[in-house]
Amino acid sequence: MAGIPGLRPVDDPASRDRFLMRAFVAGGTLLAGGALVAGLPRLAASAQSPARDAEIFNFALLLEQLQAAFYGEAAERAELDAELLGFAKVVAEHEREHVAYLQTALGSAAREEPRTDFGDATTDPEAFAAAAITLEDLAVAAYNGQAANLTKDGLRAAATVVSVHARHAAWIRSIVGMPPASQPVDQPLSQAEVAARLEESGFLQEA
Amino acid sequence: MTFRDIPDLALADLDRDGAIREAVDRLERSSRSGFLSAAAGGMAAAMALGRPTPAAAALTRGDSAILNYALTLEYLQDAFYTEAERKGALAGPAARLTRVVGAVERAHVKALREVLGRKAVKRPFFDFRGVTEDPPSFVRTAVAFEDLGTAAYKGQAHRIESREVLAAAVGIHSVEARHAAWIRYIAGSAPAAEAFDEGTTKAETLRLVRATGFVVARPRTTVAKTPSFTG
Repeated sequence: MAGIPGLRPVDDPASRDRFLMRAFVAGGTLLAGGALVAGLPRLAASAQSPARDAEIFNFALLLEQLQAAFYGEAAERAELDAELLGFAKVVAEHEREHVAYLQTALGSAAREEPRTDFGDATTDPEAFAAAAITLEDLAVAAYNGQAANLTKDGLRAAATVVSVHARHAAWIRSIVGMPPASQPVDQPLSQAEVAARLEESGFLQEA
Repeated sequence: MTFRDIPDLALADLDRDGAIREAVDRLERSSRSGFLSAAAGGMAAAMALGRPTPAAAALTRGDSAILNYALTLEYLQDAFYTEAERKGALAGPAARLTRVVGAVERAHVKALREVLGRKAVKRPFFDFRGVTEDPPSFVRTAVAFEDLGTAAYKGQAHRIESREVLAAAVGIHSVEARHAAWIRYIAGSAPAAEAFDEGTTKAETLRLVRATGFVVARPRTTVAKTPSFTG
Protein backbone atom coordinates (compact mmCIF):
# COMPACT_ATOMS: atom_id res chain seq x y z
CA MET A 1 0.00 0.00 0.00
CA ALA A 2 2.33 2.68 -1.18
CA GLY A 3 0.98 6.15 -0.72
CA ILE A 4 -0.71 5.55 2.60
CA PRO A 5 1.52 6.01 5.57
CA GLY A 6 1.49 3.50 8.33
CA LEU A 7 -0.48 0.80 6.58
CA ARG A 8 0.47 -2.73 7.35
CA PRO A 9 -0.93 -5.69 5.50
CA VAL A 10 -3.80 -7.35 7.25
CA ASP A 11 -2.79 -10.75 6.11
CA ASP A 12 0.77 -11.09 5.07
CA PRO A 13 1.63 -13.05 1.96
CA ALA A 14 3.03 -15.88 4.02
CA SER A 15 -0.25 -16.51 5.79
CA ARG A 16 -2.15 -16.07 2.56
CA ASP A 17 0.01 -18.76 1.01
CA ARG A 18 -0.52 -21.06 3.94
CA PHE A 19 -4.25 -20.64 3.60
CA LEU A 20 -4.28 -21.43 -0.09
CA MET A 21 -2.09 -24.43 0.41
CA ARG A 22 -4.51 -25.79 2.96
CA ALA A 23 -7.47 -25.02 0.77
CA PHE A 24 -6.07 -26.71 -2.26
CA VAL A 25 -4.68 -29.71 -0.50
CA ALA A 26 -8.15 -30.21 0.87
CA GLY A 27 -9.55 -29.73 -2.61
CA GLY A 28 -7.50 -32.55 -4.02
CA THR A 29 -6.75 -32.94 -7.68
CA LEU A 30 -9.21 -31.23 -9.91
CA LEU A 31 -8.74 -30.13 -13.41
CA ALA A 32 -5.15 -30.64 -14.34
CA GLY A 33 -4.16 -29.78 -17.86
CA GLY A 34 -6.66 -29.10 -20.57
CA ALA A 35 -6.04 -25.44 -21.23
CA LEU A 36 -8.68 -24.98 -23.84
CA VAL A 37 -11.80 -23.20 -22.89
CA ALA A 38 -13.93 -25.81 -24.56
CA GLY A 39 -12.55 -28.35 -22.14
CA LEU A 40 -13.47 -26.45 -19.03
CA PRO A 41 -15.73 -28.25 -16.62
CA ARG A 42 -18.84 -26.45 -15.54
CA LEU A 43 -18.92 -25.42 -11.95
CA ALA A 44 -21.44 -27.26 -9.92
CA ALA A 45 -23.93 -25.07 -8.15
CA SER A 46 -22.61 -26.06 -4.78
CA ALA A 47 -21.86 -24.27 -1.57
CA GLN A 48 -18.46 -22.76 -0.98
CA SER A 49 -15.76 -25.27 -0.22
CA PRO A 50 -12.02 -25.63 -0.55
CA ALA A 51 -12.63 -27.93 -3.51
CA ARG A 52 -14.69 -25.30 -5.23
CA ASP A 53 -12.06 -22.68 -4.45
CA ALA A 54 -9.57 -24.87 -6.26
CA GLU A 55 -11.82 -25.13 -9.32
CA ILE A 56 -12.29 -21.38 -9.37
CA PHE A 57 -8.61 -20.61 -8.93
CA ASN A 58 -7.63 -23.13 -11.56
CA PHE A 59 -9.80 -21.26 -14.01
CA ALA A 60 -8.30 -17.98 -12.81
CA LEU A 61 -4.88 -19.53 -13.41
CA LEU A 62 -5.71 -19.82 -17.10
CA LEU A 63 -6.38 -16.09 -17.25
CA GLU A 64 -3.18 -15.34 -15.39
CA GLN A 65 -1.15 -17.64 -17.62
CA LEU A 66 -2.60 -16.05 -20.72
CA GLN A 67 -1.74 -12.59 -19.43
CA ALA A 68 1.75 -13.59 -18.35
CA ALA A 69 2.36 -15.02 -21.83
CA PHE A 70 0.92 -11.92 -23.50
CA TYR A 71 2.94 -9.35 -21.60
CA GLY A 72 6.01 -11.57 -21.56
CA GLU A 73 5.93 -11.82 -25.35
CA ALA A 74 5.42 -8.07 -25.70
CA ALA A 75 8.37 -7.41 -23.40
CA GLU A 76 10.56 -9.89 -25.25
CA ARG A 77 9.76 -8.63 -28.74
CA ALA A 78 10.25 -5.06 -27.50
CA GLU A 79 8.68 -3.38 -30.51
CA LEU A 80 6.26 -1.19 -28.55
CA ASP A 81 7.09 2.40 -27.68
CA ALA A 82 8.82 3.14 -24.42
CA GLU A 83 5.75 3.79 -22.31
CA LEU A 84 3.79 0.75 -23.51
CA LEU A 85 6.89 -1.40 -23.19
CA GLY A 86 7.46 -0.17 -19.65
CA PHE A 87 3.87 -1.04 -18.82
CA ALA A 88 4.24 -4.49 -20.39
CA LYS A 89 7.37 -5.25 -18.40
CA VAL A 90 5.92 -4.26 -15.04
CA VAL A 91 2.62 -6.02 -15.65
CA ALA A 92 4.35 -9.14 -17.00
CA GLU A 93 6.13 -9.45 -13.67
CA HIS A 94 2.86 -9.08 -11.76
CA GLU A 95 1.19 -11.73 -13.87
CA ARG A 96 4.11 -14.11 -13.42
CA GLU A 97 3.77 -13.63 -9.67
CA HIS A 98 0.05 -14.37 -9.87
CA VAL A 99 0.75 -17.51 -11.91
CA ALA A 100 3.44 -18.71 -9.52
CA TYR A 101 1.21 -18.05 -6.55
CA LEU A 102 -1.71 -20.00 -7.96
CA GLN A 103 0.48 -22.82 -9.25
CA THR A 104 2.09 -23.25 -5.87
CA ALA A 105 -1.26 -23.18 -4.15
CA LEU A 106 -2.84 -25.66 -6.58
CA GLY A 107 0.12 -28.00 -6.60
CA SER A 108 -0.32 -30.99 -8.86
CA ALA A 109 -3.86 -29.90 -9.69
CA ALA A 110 -2.60 -26.78 -11.45
CA ARG A 111 -3.46 -26.71 -15.13
CA GLU A 112 -0.72 -26.77 -17.73
CA GLU A 113 0.42 -23.69 -19.57
CA PRO A 114 -1.91 -22.91 -22.48
CA ARG A 115 -0.64 -22.58 -26.02
CA THR A 116 -1.17 -19.02 -27.17
CA ASP A 117 -1.16 -16.96 -30.33
CA PHE A 118 -1.34 -13.22 -29.95
CA GLY A 119 -0.73 -12.32 -33.57
CA ASP A 120 0.42 -8.73 -33.82
CA ALA A 121 -1.10 -7.79 -30.44
CA THR A 122 2.28 -7.97 -28.76
CA THR A 123 3.94 -5.62 -31.25
CA ASP A 124 1.31 -3.30 -32.70
CA PRO A 125 0.53 -0.50 -30.22
CA GLU A 126 -3.20 -0.31 -30.89
CA ALA A 127 -3.67 -4.06 -30.95
CA PHE A 128 -1.61 -4.36 -27.79
CA ALA A 129 -3.64 -1.77 -25.91
CA ALA A 130 -6.93 -3.26 -27.05
CA ALA A 131 -5.85 -6.75 -25.99
CA ALA A 132 -4.51 -5.55 -22.64
CA ILE A 133 -7.76 -3.74 -21.89
CA THR A 134 -9.79 -6.81 -22.84
CA LEU A 135 -7.68 -9.19 -20.76
CA GLU A 136 -7.53 -6.97 -17.67
CA ASP A 137 -11.24 -6.16 -17.70
CA LEU A 138 -11.94 -9.84 -18.19
CA ALA A 139 -9.83 -10.77 -15.19
CA VAL A 140 -11.61 -8.20 -13.01
CA ALA A 141 -15.02 -9.45 -14.12
CA ALA A 142 -13.98 -13.09 -13.67
CA TYR A 143 -12.71 -12.69 -10.10
CA ASN A 144 -15.64 -10.47 -9.16
CA GLY A 145 -18.05 -12.98 -10.66
CA GLN A 146 -16.74 -15.73 -8.39
CA ALA A 147 -16.56 -13.70 -5.17
CA ALA A 148 -19.73 -15.17 -3.71
CA ASN A 149 -18.70 -18.70 -4.66
CA LEU A 150 -15.41 -18.61 -2.78
CA THR A 151 -14.85 -19.52 0.84
CA LYS A 152 -14.10 -16.56 3.06
CA ASP A 153 -10.41 -17.37 2.95
CA GLY A 154 -10.53 -17.84 -0.81
CA LEU A 155 -12.20 -14.47 -1.15
CA ARG A 156 -9.48 -12.82 0.93
CA ALA A 157 -6.87 -14.20 -1.42
CA ALA A 158 -8.75 -13.31 -4.61
CA ALA A 159 -9.34 -9.77 -3.40
CA THR A 160 -5.60 -9.11 -3.24
CA VAL A 161 -5.31 -9.98 -6.93
CA VAL A 162 -8.44 -8.54 -8.51
CA SER A 163 -7.68 -4.92 -7.64
CA VAL A 164 -4.25 -5.22 -9.22
CA HIS A 165 -5.93 -6.21 -12.48
CA ALA A 166 -8.24 -3.23 -12.08
CA ARG A 167 -5.18 -1.03 -11.65
CA HIS A 168 -3.64 -2.49 -14.80
CA ALA A 169 -6.86 -1.84 -16.70
CA ALA A 170 -6.94 1.81 -15.65
CA TRP A 171 -3.21 2.19 -16.29
CA ILE A 172 -3.32 1.03 -19.91
CA ARG A 173 -6.37 3.20 -20.54
CA SER A 174 -4.50 6.18 -19.10
CA ILE A 175 -1.57 5.53 -21.44
CA VAL A 176 -3.74 5.46 -24.54
CA GLY A 177 -5.93 8.37 -23.44
CA MET A 178 -9.12 6.46 -22.73
CA PRO A 179 -11.26 7.20 -19.66
CA PRO A 180 -9.79 4.84 -17.05
CA ALA A 181 -12.95 4.38 -14.98
CA SER A 182 -16.33 5.82 -15.73
CA GLN A 183 -18.73 3.20 -14.34
CA PRO A 184 -19.73 3.20 -10.67
CA VAL A 185 -19.44 -0.55 -10.39
CA ASP A 186 -17.62 -3.26 -12.30
CA GLN A 187 -20.03 -5.81 -13.70
CA PRO A 188 -19.17 -9.42 -12.92
CA LEU A 189 -19.11 -12.23 -15.47
CA SER A 190 -19.88 -15.89 -14.94
CA GLN A 191 -17.25 -18.45 -15.76
CA ALA A 192 -19.17 -19.40 -18.91
CA GLU A 193 -19.23 -15.79 -20.04
CA VAL A 194 -15.52 -15.40 -19.37
CA ALA A 195 -14.82 -18.61 -21.26
CA ALA A 196 -16.84 -17.40 -24.23
CA ARG A 197 -14.90 -14.14 -24.34
CA LEU A 198 -11.62 -15.98 -24.13
CA GLU A 199 -12.63 -18.06 -27.12
CA GLU A 200 -13.64 -14.93 -29.00
CA SER A 201 -10.22 -13.43 -28.36
CA GLY A 202 -8.57 -16.18 -30.39
CA PHE A 203 -5.51 -16.02 -28.14
CA LEU A 204 -5.79 -19.62 -26.96
CA GLN A 205 -4.68 -22.40 -29.29
CA GLU A 206 -5.51 -26.07 -29.43
CA ALA A 207 -3.07 -27.98 -27.27
CA MET B 1 8.97 4.50 -17.53
CA THR B 2 10.15 6.14 -14.37
CA PHE B 3 8.00 7.01 -11.45
CA ARG B 4 8.67 9.52 -8.79
CA ASP B 5 7.74 8.91 -5.23
CA ILE B 6 4.74 10.63 -3.81
CA PRO B 7 5.25 12.14 -0.40
CA ASP B 8 2.83 10.76 2.12
CA LEU B 9 -0.09 12.76 3.37
CA ALA B 10 1.03 14.93 6.22
CA LEU B 11 -1.22 13.22 8.68
CA ALA B 12 0.26 14.22 11.96
CA ASP B 13 -0.08 17.96 11.58
CA LEU B 14 -3.67 17.73 10.44
CA ASP B 15 -5.04 15.86 13.41
CA ARG B 16 -8.00 17.34 15.17
CA ASP B 17 -10.73 16.33 17.57
CA GLY B 18 -11.08 12.67 16.63
CA ALA B 19 -14.30 13.58 14.91
CA ILE B 20 -14.38 10.49 12.76
CA ARG B 21 -14.41 8.49 15.96
CA GLU B 22 -17.65 10.23 16.85
CA ALA B 23 -19.00 9.47 13.41
CA VAL B 24 -18.13 5.84 13.81
CA ASP B 25 -19.55 5.60 17.29
CA ARG B 26 -22.72 7.14 15.97
CA LEU B 27 -22.68 4.75 13.09
CA GLU B 28 -22.41 1.78 15.39
CA ARG B 29 -25.09 3.08 17.72
CA SER B 30 -27.41 3.71 14.84
CA SER B 31 -26.96 0.27 13.38
CA ARG B 32 -27.48 -1.33 16.78
CA SER B 33 -30.63 0.59 17.46
CA GLY B 34 -32.03 0.57 13.96
CA PHE B 35 -35.03 -1.61 14.61
CA LEU B 36 -36.50 -0.85 11.24
CA SER B 37 -34.88 -3.26 8.91
CA ALA B 38 -33.15 -1.61 6.04
CA ALA B 39 -34.97 -4.01 3.83
CA ALA B 40 -33.56 -1.72 1.32
CA GLY B 41 -35.16 -3.19 -1.72
CA GLY B 42 -32.33 -5.66 -1.85
CA MET B 43 -29.65 -3.61 -3.41
CA ALA B 44 -31.43 -0.42 -4.19
CA ALA B 45 -27.87 0.29 -5.07
CA ALA B 46 -28.70 -1.91 -7.89
CA MET B 47 -30.64 0.80 -9.61
CA ALA B 48 -27.94 3.37 -9.27
CA LEU B 49 -25.32 0.82 -10.08
CA GLY B 50 -27.13 -0.69 -12.99
CA ARG B 51 -27.45 -4.23 -11.78
CA PRO B 52 -30.60 -6.28 -11.42
CA THR B 53 -32.44 -5.61 -8.21
CA PRO B 54 -32.99 -8.62 -6.02
CA ALA B 55 -36.15 -8.79 -3.98
CA ALA B 56 -36.12 -6.97 -0.70
CA ALA B 57 -33.44 -8.49 1.42
CA ALA B 58 -33.10 -7.44 5.01
CA LEU B 59 -29.57 -6.52 5.88
CA THR B 60 -27.92 -8.34 8.72
CA ARG B 61 -26.51 -6.22 11.49
CA GLY B 62 -23.01 -7.06 10.38
CA ASP B 63 -23.67 -6.09 6.78
CA SER B 64 -25.29 -2.83 7.89
CA ALA B 65 -22.22 -1.94 9.90
CA ILE B 66 -19.95 -2.71 6.96
CA LEU B 67 -22.07 -0.71 4.55
CA ASN B 68 -22.16 2.22 6.93
CA TYR B 69 -18.39 2.07 7.25
CA ALA B 70 -18.20 2.07 3.44
CA LEU B 71 -20.66 4.95 3.33
CA THR B 72 -18.48 6.98 5.67
CA LEU B 73 -15.55 6.59 3.30
CA GLU B 74 -17.71 7.35 0.28
CA TYR B 75 -18.98 10.53 1.97
CA LEU B 76 -15.38 11.57 2.42
CA GLN B 77 -14.52 10.95 -1.23
CA ASP B 78 -17.75 12.48 -2.49
CA ALA B 79 -17.17 15.67 -0.47
CA PHE B 80 -13.55 15.87 -1.54
CA TYR B 81 -14.14 15.65 -5.30
CA THR B 82 -17.33 17.67 -5.22
CA GLU B 83 -15.57 20.50 -3.41
CA ALA B 84 -12.59 20.32 -5.77
CA GLU B 85 -14.89 20.57 -8.77
CA ARG B 86 -16.77 23.49 -7.22
CA LYS B 87 -13.59 25.40 -6.38
CA GLY B 88 -12.38 24.98 -9.95
CA ALA B 89 -8.68 25.26 -9.20
CA LEU B 90 -7.74 22.11 -11.06
CA ALA B 91 -7.02 21.85 -14.77
CA GLY B 92 -6.30 19.20 -17.38
CA PRO B 93 -6.25 15.53 -16.39
CA ALA B 94 -6.84 16.20 -12.69
CA ALA B 95 -9.94 18.26 -13.49
CA ARG B 96 -11.29 15.50 -15.76
CA LEU B 97 -10.65 12.89 -13.10
CA THR B 98 -12.40 15.05 -10.54
CA ARG B 99 -15.53 15.31 -12.64
CA VAL B 100 -15.72 11.62 -13.44
CA VAL B 101 -14.64 10.21 -10.11
CA GLY B 102 -16.77 12.72 -8.24
CA ALA B 103 -19.83 11.54 -10.11
CA VAL B 104 -18.96 7.92 -9.36
CA GLU B 105 -18.43 8.56 -5.65
CA ARG B 106 -21.74 10.43 -5.47
CA ALA B 107 -23.37 7.40 -7.09
CA HIS B 108 -21.78 5.17 -4.45
CA VAL B 109 -23.12 7.39 -1.68
CA LYS B 110 -26.58 7.41 -3.19
CA ALA B 111 -26.60 3.65 -3.64
CA LEU B 112 -25.36 2.90 -0.14
CA ARG B 113 -27.86 5.31 1.39
CA GLU B 114 -30.69 3.67 -0.52
CA VAL B 115 -29.63 0.23 0.58
CA LEU B 116 -29.23 1.27 4.21
CA GLY B 117 -32.41 3.33 4.31
CA ARG B 118 -32.98 4.62 7.82
CA LYS B 119 -29.89 2.84 9.04
CA ALA B 120 -27.66 5.06 6.95
CA VAL B 121 -25.15 7.03 8.98
CA LYS B 122 -25.48 10.75 8.46
CA ARG B 123 -23.08 12.73 6.35
CA PRO B 124 -20.26 14.12 8.47
CA PHE B 125 -18.90 17.64 8.05
CA PHE B 126 -15.63 18.03 6.25
CA ASP B 127 -12.93 20.63 6.17
CA PHE B 128 -10.28 19.94 3.56
CA ARG B 129 -8.23 22.97 4.56
CA GLY B 130 -7.43 24.19 1.11
CA VAL B 131 -6.31 20.82 -0.23
CA THR B 132 -9.02 20.88 -2.92
CA GLU B 133 -7.66 24.19 -4.23
CA ASP B 134 -3.99 23.24 -4.34
CA PRO B 135 -3.33 20.87 -7.24
CA PRO B 136 -0.27 19.09 -5.82
CA SER B 137 -1.96 18.55 -2.44
CA PHE B 138 -5.15 17.50 -4.17
CA VAL B 139 -3.37 14.84 -6.19
CA ARG B 140 -1.46 13.46 -3.20
CA THR B 141 -4.61 13.29 -1.14
CA ALA B 142 -6.63 11.70 -3.93
CA VAL B 143 -3.99 8.98 -4.27
CA ALA B 144 -4.23 8.31 -0.55
CA PHE B 145 -8.04 8.28 -0.57
CA GLU B 146 -8.33 5.89 -3.50
CA ASP B 147 -5.65 3.52 -2.24
CA LEU B 148 -7.34 3.60 1.14
CA GLY B 149 -10.80 3.06 -0.34
CA THR B 150 -9.52 0.03 -2.24
CA ALA B 151 -7.84 -1.39 0.84
CA ALA B 152 -10.85 -0.72 3.03
CA TYR B 153 -13.34 -2.54 0.78
CA LYS B 154 -10.84 -5.37 0.40
CA GLY B 155 -10.55 -5.69 4.15
CA GLN B 156 -14.30 -6.18 4.50
CA ALA B 157 -15.21 -8.40 1.55
CA HIS B 158 -14.84 -11.70 3.39
CA ARG B 159 -16.96 -10.43 6.29
CA ILE B 160 -20.02 -9.68 4.16
CA GLU B 161 -22.88 -12.11 4.62
CA SER B 162 -25.32 -11.31 1.81
CA ARG B 163 -24.40 -12.44 -1.69
CA GLU B 164 -26.07 -9.35 -3.15
CA VAL B 165 -24.18 -6.99 -0.88
CA LEU B 166 -20.97 -8.83 -1.63
CA ALA B 167 -21.55 -8.61 -5.38
CA ALA B 168 -21.99 -4.86 -5.12
CA ALA B 169 -19.06 -4.41 -2.76
CA VAL B 170 -16.57 -6.26 -4.94
CA GLY B 171 -17.79 -4.31 -7.96
CA ILE B 172 -17.13 -1.07 -6.10
CA HIS B 173 -13.82 -2.35 -4.74
CA SER B 174 -12.35 -2.81 -8.20
CA VAL B 175 -13.65 0.58 -9.32
CA GLU B 176 -11.80 2.21 -6.42
CA ALA B 177 -8.67 0.41 -7.60
CA ARG B 178 -9.20 1.81 -11.10
CA HIS B 179 -9.48 5.29 -9.59
CA ALA B 180 -6.31 4.72 -7.59
CA ALA B 181 -4.38 3.75 -10.72
CA TRP B 182 -5.81 6.67 -12.66
CA ILE B 183 -4.85 9.33 -10.14
CA ARG B 184 -1.47 7.68 -9.61
CA TYR B 185 -0.83 7.89 -13.33
CA ILE B 186 -1.66 11.59 -13.23
CA ALA B 187 0.64 11.98 -10.23
CA GLY B 188 3.49 10.22 -12.02
CA SER B 189 3.42 7.45 -9.45
CA ALA B 190 3.32 3.71 -10.17
CA PRO B 191 -0.35 2.89 -10.92
CA ALA B 192 0.19 -0.70 -9.83
CA ALA B 193 3.20 -0.87 -7.57
CA GLU B 194 2.85 -4.45 -6.41
CA ALA B 195 1.53 -7.75 -7.73
CA PHE B 196 -0.76 -8.09 -4.70
CA ASP B 197 -2.84 -5.37 -3.01
CA GLU B 198 -3.38 -5.81 0.70
CA GLY B 199 -6.44 -4.76 2.67
CA THR B 200 -6.82 -2.67 5.78
CA THR B 201 -8.89 -3.35 8.84
CA LYS B 202 -11.63 -0.95 9.84
CA ALA B 203 -9.57 0.22 12.81
CA GLU B 204 -6.55 0.98 10.63
CA THR B 205 -8.63 2.76 8.04
CA LEU B 206 -10.43 4.93 10.56
CA ARG B 207 -7.21 5.77 12.35
CA LEU B 208 -5.83 7.07 9.06
CA VAL B 209 -8.97 8.99 8.21
CA ARG B 210 -9.09 10.48 11.68
CA ALA B 211 -5.47 11.51 11.40
CA THR B 212 -6.20 13.61 8.33
CA GLY B 213 -8.39 15.93 10.39
CA PHE B 214 -10.65 16.31 7.37
CA VAL B 215 -13.70 15.18 9.30
CA VAL B 216 -14.88 17.89 11.65
CA ALA B 217 -17.55 18.18 14.27
CA ARG B 218 -19.37 21.08 12.66
CA PRO B 219 -19.34 23.10 9.49
CA ARG B 220 -16.43 25.45 9.21
CA THR B 221 -18.46 28.50 8.32
CA THR B 222 -21.64 27.94 10.27
CA VAL B 223 -22.16 27.95 13.99
CA ALA B 224 -23.96 24.78 14.87
CA LYS B 225 -26.84 25.17 17.30
CA THR B 226 -26.07 21.97 19.06
CA PRO B 227 -22.63 20.81 20.05
CA SER B 228 -23.32 17.21 19.23
CA PHE B 229 -22.14 15.58 16.06
CA THR B 230 -25.27 15.39 14.02
CA GLY B 231 -24.22 15.51 10.39
